[in-house]
Amino acid sequence: MVILRRRFEAIISEMINALFKSGRSGVLNTAMDFSCSLTDANFQSISLAQGLPVHVGAIDLIPRAIVAKFGEDIRPGDCFVNNSGYLGNTHCADFTVCAPVFVEGKIAFYVIARAHLGDIGFPTPTTYGPRSRDVYEEGLILPCVRIQKDYRDVPEVIDICRANIRVPDQFYGDYLAVLAAVRTGESRLRAVCEKYGAGIVRQFVDEFQNYAERMARRAIAALPKGRVSKEMLYDSETDLYPAGIPIRATVEVDPEAELVTVDLRDNVDNLPLGINMTESTTTAAVMTAVLNVLGADVPRCTGSFRRVQLLMREGAAIGKPRFPAATSSATTNLCHALIPHLQSMFADLRGDLGTAYGTIGMPGSCAVVSGTDTRHGRPFVNQLIMGYWGGPAMHGHDGWLTYGSGASQGILWQSSVEVVEQQQPIIVERLEVRMDSGGAGEWEGAPGADCVIRPREGDVRFMVNSASRENPPSGVGGGLPGAAMLIARQDRDGRREDLPISVDTVIRPGEKLLSSGCGGGGFGNPLRRTPEKVLAALKTGRISVERAASVYGVIVDTSGPEPVVSEAATLARRESMRQGALQ
Amino acid sequence: MSLKIAVDVGGTFTDLVLENENGLVKTYKAPTTPERIVDGILDGISLIAADLSLTTRELLAGCARFSCGTTAATNAILEKTYARTGLICTEGFRDTLTIREGGKADTYTIAIDYPEPYIPRHLTLGLRERMNSEGGVELPLDEAQAIAILREMDRLQVQAIAVSLLWSIANPAHEIRIGELIAEHLPGVPYSLSHQTSPTIREYRRTSATAIDASLKPLVGRTIKELESRLRAAGLEGVLTLMTSSGGQTAVDEVLARPINLCLSGPSAAPESARSTIRAEGEQTCNAIVVDMGGTSFDISIVDNWQVPMHREGVIDGNVFGVASVEVKTIGAGGGSIARVDAGGFIHVGPESAKSVPGPACYKRGGTRPTVTDANLARGFLDPANFAGGTMTLSEHNAADAIRSHIAEPLDMDVDQAASLIGLTVEQNMVAAIEEITIKRGVDPREYIMVAGGAAAGLHAVPIARELGIKRVFVPPVAGVLSAFGILVSDMKTTFSRSVPTASDAFDHDRINAVLADLGAEGEAYLDRMGIPPEDREIAFSVEARYRGQVWQLSVGFETRQIAGPEHLAALTEAFHQVHERLYFVRSTDPVEFTEWSVLATGRAPRRVLDHGVTGLPGAAPVHKGARSIYLRELGGRQQVQVVDGAKSGADVSIAGPALIDQPLTTIVLYPGTTARSTASGGLWIDLH
Repeated sequence: MVILRRRFEAIISEMINALFKSGRSGVLNTAMDFSCSLTDANFQSISLAQGLPVHVGAIDLIPRAIVAKFGEDIRPGDCFVNNSGYLGNTHCADFTVCAPVFVEGKIAFYVIARAHLGDIGFPTPTTYGPRSRDVYEEGLILPCVRIQKDYRDVPEVIDICRANIRVPDQFYGDYLAVLAAVRTGESRLRAVCEKYGAGIVRQFVDEFQNYAERMARRAIAALPKGRVSKEMLYDSETDLYPAGIPIRATVEVDPEAELVTVDLRDNVDNLPLGINMTESTTTAAVMTAVLNVLGADVPRCTGSFRRVQLLMREGAAIGKPRFPAATSSATTNLCHALIPHLQSMFADLRGDLGTAYGTIGMPGSCAVVSGTDTRHGRPFVNQLIMGYWGGPAMHGHDGWLTYGSGASQGILWQSSVEVVEQQQPIIVERLEVRMDSGGAGEWEGAPGADCVIRPREGDVRFMVNSASRENPPSGVGGGLPGAAMLIARQDRDGRREDLPISVDTVIRPGEKLLSSGCGGGGFGNPLRRTPEKVLAALKTGRISVERAASVYGVIVDTSGPEPVVSEAATLARRESMRQGALQ
Repeated sequence: MSLKIAVDVGGTFTDLVLENENGLVKTYKAPTTPERIVDGILDGISLIAADLSLTTRELLAGCARFSCGTTAATNAILEKTYARTGLICTEGFRDTLTIREGGKADTYTIAIDYPEPYIPRHLTLGLRERMNSEGGVELPLDEAQAIAILREMDRLQVQAIAVSLLWSIANPAHEIRIGELIAEHLPGVPYSLSHQTSPTIREYRRTSATAIDASLKPLVGRTIKELESRLRAAGLEGVLTLMTSSGGQTAVDEVLARPINLCLSGPSAAPESARSTIRAEGEQTCNAIVVDMGGTSFDISIVDNWQVPMHREGVIDGNVFGVASVEVKTIGAGGGSIARVDAGGFIHVGPESAKSVPGPACYKRGGTRPTVTDANLARGFLDPANFAGGTMTLSEHNAADAIRSHIAEPLDMDVDQAASLIGLTVEQNMVAAIEEITIKRGVDPREYIMVAGGAAAGLHAVPIARELGIKRVFVPPVAGVLSAFGILVSDMKTTFSRSVPTASDAFDHDRINAVLADLGAEGEAYLDRMGIPPEDREIAFSVEARYRGQVWQLSVGFETRQIAGPEHLAALTEAFHQVHERLYFVRSTDPVEFTEWSVLATGRAPRRVLDHGVTGLPGAAPVHKGARSIYLRELGGRQQVQVVDGAKSGADVSIAGPALIDQPLTTIVLYPGTTARSTASGGLWIDLH
């Protein structure tokens, strides 16, 4: 078991390495917005130690879709591609490739590589369409089709992709990268079965699921029994919910039965927006949140997922979509909200559990940018991953800075400013911590980023699916919310014009895009934060002297070469703030 | 006399290797003195002198070359004892060292604190200036503000300054000017400029390297100058060199100018040690995975077709140091790694270590949790009365107790089985670490031999090799002082680089050839300074390249000193296609972009046959020293096996497993299905059938 567990981890590492270093688009080769995984013939996922949580939390749906569609008509050398949210994929920009692995003439495994493409043929140059009304506004659909037969490309499928995608060469390079990952996984799995025997390997997979289930059972048994229902509001862009779209969930922990139940059926119907979640992302979000509470040492796989009962409804925005609801932003907006929402509910069960809320929606510094590069006349479209920060605080720890959202949980790489400027004709004028943006608390939410971007000689189109403006990430247990996410245009005269939550705008030379990323929510009462930590945050530029005093009650003397805490003044200030709170 | 001495100052021991005028090699160990490493070195020198019946002064007077590897730089980074350093960056980018490059080692561990930046933010000041990606000036340098920044640095009492501006690799004018201003306004404060320290794209990596370099200047300067003056005072007249990240040696002045090159000094010599000893064995090919196993760490490096692969992604304590370095991967796995069973009944070994205090349970120093050393003792691999060269006795009782209560009982097995499982688990960790480095390089371990060094090497080498499909394991005669020997026999070398982008569809021959000519001249000038005769010189060019649209480069070497015409360019482009295809199975028809040009200037060390003092008769029967009962899962239980005295056995001795070979500093476990053969040069080959 020790040996085979390592074997599987090594195979996935090899797949990831093959994909990472040969991918073309920025989200792939710098941000690592992709994942590699595998399941056995019974769709049991095996080792999900690496990869984006939202990508791999429900990976079994991909081979299930193949078998449902092709049945017996699956052969060695086949490879299938699926980007349909109705067939188990996450969202349309995730190009998911899956190949069967045959051992002794039978399918023993499926290897899966999923990569977020820079373009998938939307009417507009983005891969997220938060304002899309239905699936027909979301570009190319690949409803689980064969893309390789006998280890050779099916040329028609490649042609259709190339004809629909704005950057066909970049697409084909990315396709080769995911294919390399899948074929690497296939050959390594065959070798493992040859070396250890297919029977032993199959038995291991079952034993591993049982082990993961035992780990999950133990972790749940240690939780307090209880049931929590909670509603939050998500920034609305539809007249249906002018005050905000409600997200509702009920979490029930039963330590005796060693089971966690998450009920999402009481959510609103599918929205005329692209933010509807898919079965894949709803499931992955729930598994991610619950397993985050259960701990890092519980393996993320089918066995542990058995201890989480998920109740969802078809036709709900948070649940399974009903055709033809749009789902292109299923991995981001509502998904970003749902994960910390569920985590925060555990804090209601016991004060040291769960987390506050992290970033919801993408900041302006993660825009999809497009246009023509005036330096060489070639068109470009790519998503930037800069300043995707703002992690939630939790008991005992401040938020993780480069967290992004619960869907990626810090795993995304942040683009290098120099690489961004080399690949796109833009200048990044600033990328720094946004002061006072982290939610205050005994443990502080991570700050967001202040980012300023301007085009060089030509126009650049920016598209962003942001959120967190009316409803920034909340704190928990007395912690305060992070600062709101803002995106604005600064014109040639320096005037600032706020842009809507879903941005689609052209920035001209002389103008600038101003992005203020939201911070994560705080955890616990800010007056309980140690003055030393407040001082340290002040020295790193995360908080101002004013905030130290007004929110944390810590008075700092900045007259010397290094700022120091004025202890007596701090004691007095904190005491009066406590008194004030009591009144 | 013309002796050579090489020293590797490690965390616990200072290893020394002596080569006398006849090529006889002798090895020594002295305790490291972390406060002043030179004390430990001089203690070691006294040991050598005593062994040769000389005074220290006589010994050093006869020493033609004294080469030293030191973890001084690595430890300063790990222990954060480097100088209070200021960072000057482009305005608007003060958080570059905090952001790093994003990513997270473990997705699912959320209860952790975010790491602090190498230079704290309040010592980081933004400079009003800006270059663009082509080197054009977007915003001219504001000299008045620059001078104000230097005054602020003075007020902040920094001891060194790192300067890293965006796109300084495309146009270094602003960095150069800041350097001049520092020299003028803060005379005596050492500084480093990013386009010189690490001329590579990606602001985080370049800034991190520059920050580390500047921060080491005061400390490394002191340490190295003290080392030199004490050795000179003690009578050293020959050349003093230092081991660098590149796996070669260089002169003291070069290190003082770029102390970042001392990162990994020591472990970086292990592959050279392997290569040299394999050459001495008369082998025709050399593809080796080199492992060095000690009490707390397991270091892995590679020799690929006689070449030691280099990379620029070296990391110490989470900080990229960015200079060309031998690729060494280190994991926390060794004799002290602690074993535990989790709630689901799965065993884990490490990364937690019992260290030397309390140490493994069998050390009798209060440790109660089972470690790898306990497991090796319990299953009979170690001689309890003769551990660490006879300096310690071990408690079998304590080892068995610890294993029983923490592993055997929870998993419902006996102590032998549990000990075997602990060994298997730590070996799997080691296998995973080896795979990580080999996978990344596209290396198939089955086509490699394993070179095993370090005290714990012989206990685990065979199962690891077997798991990886490796067929031969080589234990060199200097296994106990692997790196020190590598230092002794390594070349003089250093790398110079320039960032000049061009592409295969619009190749700027004139500009690139001018750069290559400059680099070549820089390399030759370095070799001049090192006093290397022409016949021992090697100038090797390489370039970082990628397909258009990719952002990660691969390194490609090329033979010609210039890219003269279409043929040279075609050959270079094809070389890139081949490297890409070998690593990632695919090639593309896209244009190839070239980003950074480098030259590696090498002064080859003279190669001669060394004598490792093998005294036993060749071809004689192995010298036995009794038998021990060992547990091997492969044998289905315990068995009495012969113990061979490795030190007393001569060349061409053949030993079939199962057996144990006791060496002075390590024990080699010969599993069933293996055969060991000793060689005239003191090495040991283990064949896995």
